[in-house]
Amino acid sequence: MNAMKRHPRVLIAMAIVAVALAVGWSARPQPETSAERVDRITSELRCVVCQGLSVKDSPAESARQMRDLVVQRVAEGKTDQQIVDEFRASYGDWVVLTPPLVSWGGLVWLVPFAALIAGVAVALRRMRSSPQTLPEPPPAELAALRERVAREEALDLPITEGR
Amino acid sequence: MPRWLRLVVVAGIAALVVVLGLAFRHDPQDIKTGTVGKPAAAFTLQKLDGSGPLTVTPGDGKVVVINFFASWCIPCKQENPALVRMYERYRSSPDVVFVGVLYQDSLESGLAYVRDNGVTWSTVNDDQGRVAFQFGVFGIPETYFIGPDGVIAGRHIGPIDEQTLATGIDDLRAKAKR
Repeated sequence: MNAMKRHPRVLIAMAIVAVALAVGWSARPQPETSAERVDRITSELRCVVCQGLSVKDSPAESARQMRDLVVQRVAEGKTDQQIVDEFRASYGDWVVLTPPLVSWGGLVWLVPFAALIAGVAVALRRMRSSPQTLPEPPPAELAALRERVAREEALDLPITEGR
Repeated sequence: MPRWLRLVVVAGIAALVVVLGLAFRHDPQDIKTGTVGKPAAAFTLQKLDGSGPLTVTPGDGKVVVINFFASWCIPCKQENPALVRMYERYRSSPDVVFVGVLYQDSLESGLAYVRDNGVTWSTVNDDQGRVAFQFGVFGIPETYFIGPDGVIAGRHIGPIDEQTLATGIDDLRAKAKR
């Protein structure tokens, strides 16, 4: 106790380390259970008879059968990719709710970036371009304007437009 | 607007028009999935009449017409007379096989449907939906045409008519003879 009283900073530091270790331990990645894996995979697959519902969320009979198939494939030790590929073989890329990048569906990802790049390019080009200068009037008109300015200065008249 | 940007915008609009034009020309009954143009998987299912399993082995030189149906499916009843007539036309042809696959239905209801509607071709029960999954069935009725080479040559979603059935079968038979 005396040592603790003498070194309170050490005590605080030890407490902080202990709390950090406890938080880190509780937040460590847990191994995924088979049920969680089935949920994750089926949430990425489209119910083929529904409007925008995943296999996981759909109550349809065909979605239930597809979920049963995923359960079986997980139990057989198939990888996520193998299971998704089996669905794609039957229903195409459409069955995957998140379109793969390298496919026609992948354009969904590329279009916003392409639009952003095009917009930035246009904005930069506009900012860099020099302001437009008016063409110089012909010499005769310029001479007439100068003469008028000189005349008005001599008369000390205010310079007005439209006279 | 700079010239190059104008060209890009015009090209983009033109591409959009072409894509939309092609999309609207597309037949909604002809939904492409992963299976059309690929070899059909062989399968074995129990016959509805309880006489044992039926094995379908595509690629044995026969044209196979597979029709997915159910007793609760109204469009299936609508298309059934066309299937019955086409089956009668081709039943004596050794190179054409009709198979009905009961999908998402009870065996009893399926059997009653088959008896009541004059379905005399082989019918099997896909009670777990695995064969429908292998073929990429969206909803019933769906009809698949498998060529003598075992490749799924086409599919029809929705009620099928006699003309479509006859054309699908005859085209594949003609291709086999070439």
